[in-house]
Amino acid sequence: MKFILSLALKNLTRYRRRTIITSIAIAAGLSIFIMLDALLLGMEQESERNIIWYETASAKIMTAENFEHMEFLSLKYPIDNPEKITSLLNDQGFRSTTRITFGAELLVYEDPFPADGSTQVKIAAVDPESDGDVYRFTEIIEKGKFLQKGEEGILLGSWLAEDLQADVGYPVTLLTRSRDGYYQTIDLEVTGIFNCPNPYVNRATALIPLETADYYLQMEGGVTEIAVSLPSSADPAEEAAAINQLLQQQGNPENAALGVYTWQELAYDYLQFAAAKQGGSKVILFLVFIIAAVGISNTMLMAVYERIRELGMMRALGMDDGKLRAAFILEAGGIGFIGSVFGVLIGSILTWYFVRRGIDFTFMMRDMDLGYRVAGVMYGTWNVWTIITAFIAGIVISMIIAVFPTRKVVRMEVADALHHQ
Amino acid sequence: MISINNISKDYHTGDTVVHALKKVSFEISQGEFLSIAGPSGSGKTTLLNILGCIDSFDTGIYSFEGEEIAGKTRKELARFRRENVGFIFQTFNLIPVLTAFENVSFALSLLQVDERDLKARTMSILDEVGLTGMEHRRPTELSGGQQQRVAIARALVKDPKIVLADEPTANLDSANGKAILDLMRTLNRKYRTTYLFSTHDPMVMDFASRLVSLHDGEIVEDVRRN
Repeated sequence: MKFILSLALKNLTRYRRRTIITSIAIAAGLSIFIMLDALLLGMEQESERNIIWYETASAKIMTAENFEHMEFLSLKYPIDNPEKITSLLNDQGFRSTTRITFGAELLVYEDPFPADGSTQVKIAAVDPESDGDVYRFTEIIEKGKFLQKGEEGILLGSWLAEDLQADVGYPVTLLTRSRDGYYQTIDLEVTGIFNCPNPYVNRATALIPLETADYYLQMEGGVTEIAVSLPSSADPAEEAAAINQLLQQQGNPENAALGVYTWQELAYDYLQFAAAKQGGSKVILFLVFIIAAVGISNTMLMAVYERIRELGMMRALGMDDGKLRAAFILEAGGIGFIGSVFGVLIGSILTWYFVRRGIDFTFMMRDMDLGYRVAGVMYGTWNVWTIITAFIAGIVISMIIAVFPTRKVVRMEVADALHHQ
Repeated sequence: MISINNISKDYHTGDTVVHALKKVSFEISQGEFLSIAGPSGSGKTTLLNILGCIDSFDTGIYSFEGEEIAGKTRKELARFRRENVGFIFQTFNLIPVLTAFENVSFALSLLQVDERDLKARTMSILDEVGLTGMEHRRPTELSGGQQQRVAIARALVKDPKIVLADEPTANLDSANGKAILDLMRTLNRKYRTTYLFSTHDPMVMDFASRLVSLHDGEIVEDVRRN
């Protein structure tokens, strides 16, 4: 075994240029794999965070009917006595806030706007005092101020404001339907603009005070949802089950119609999309690996064919086929090792850059919908497991690929191998 | 020691059949210094390959020290070669990345000889073939004659029962060729190892104590000399 190992190592230096070129191919494949994986993971993690912080919260309490018709932003299935539930949650140490979410047409008129126009928006009517306990809108106000209790006003996402050419102090009108289905218009003044890292929110969401919505939409204290914040370390499904149990134990018959839905259930479409994207990304990563594998295969094929006579001699001297195969496999493993070391090194440097600096995709995300909830700079995330996997895979795949060309030589008659031209 | 009886071997190239050996029979005793002579295509290399168990034969019986070779598996044949046969090739077939010492010790490492014994035996045989002080040189740093000496050392280091040499001097000038043959004969006399070499060079034939001549795959002459 010592001889085989020594021979494999010496053969690596024998064709130095070829070893280097193949190692570079492996290193390039692995570094791209590590970097892409870090970026994708970073985008997924940031998307999930931005969904929880700006869309779904960790979990929501809603009526089952409202959950079923969630995409219609309907006001027909509200929670009528949310205070009892929020006080129960507060007693149990859960941070929560109430919201009325509905769809509206946002109308603007010439002067101060450059032209008349309208756009469909999603309105979140929030409790200014408790919304910050669950969501993060208070931290992303770019202009003006956050909503205040007892004051009317509307906050626009910065991309929405940019599209409308709106500014703080501008009047807008919301055209929507009340809880009973009657048309209602609400005139409001823009009191602030928030710059949300979640493009879905930044592009088409506006916030108004809960009191305003309650009054104009005749909600009579009812809300469409109670959003709950959970620690990031908590298991949302377990916590949702615990909250559900609390609700059912409260003794309020109205609670029987309520459900507690985790962010994963609320953002089901996004998760489906992310899973599909992951599949697509894996195909790309697989192709990168194939390119590296072809490089190794070609190198090993040439190495084997150039040494057929030498291999014939070794077999003539009585070297077992298994040991011969092992020598080539170890040689390929050596190339894989060199490539993997450099691949991991370069991949880690690239990942470090993307973790620290990120890559600015604002120009693309502004007008395109990639599905991810990342608006501008995309940051990578370290994934040690991927780095270890890539390192091992680089070596193992190289070794596996070497099996095929070696097998052909081993099958040759020794005499034929010795006289091979 | 070796007995072959009615050995035949055909090569098929498309529809063409080449009869490389036709019912060849002869015996070899231990310690013989035997030359297989004949023109190109007479079957010398095929016969040598069959005797070295690196090629198969179609019909006949080949027995080595009473043991039949036919029917052995690839693994058994590899073991047989490892333990009994030393090869010397026309083109030396040394491993270019290994030193003279490593090329020679390669044959011993296949037999899993312990490190100390491996070193001692390798150095001893290198001394025997006149390469003391050159053990760290790679093949490219040696002359043709020196490379063939390394090949001889590699064949002999494991103390084989038979050494098969396929035109061992064909790639050497006459002075080096003669020196190599002298060395082989000296070692043959010293260790009583059986040598079998193929050639079509009359100078080489003169060195042999027995000359078996082949023509078109048949033995046409088998002469013993003193």
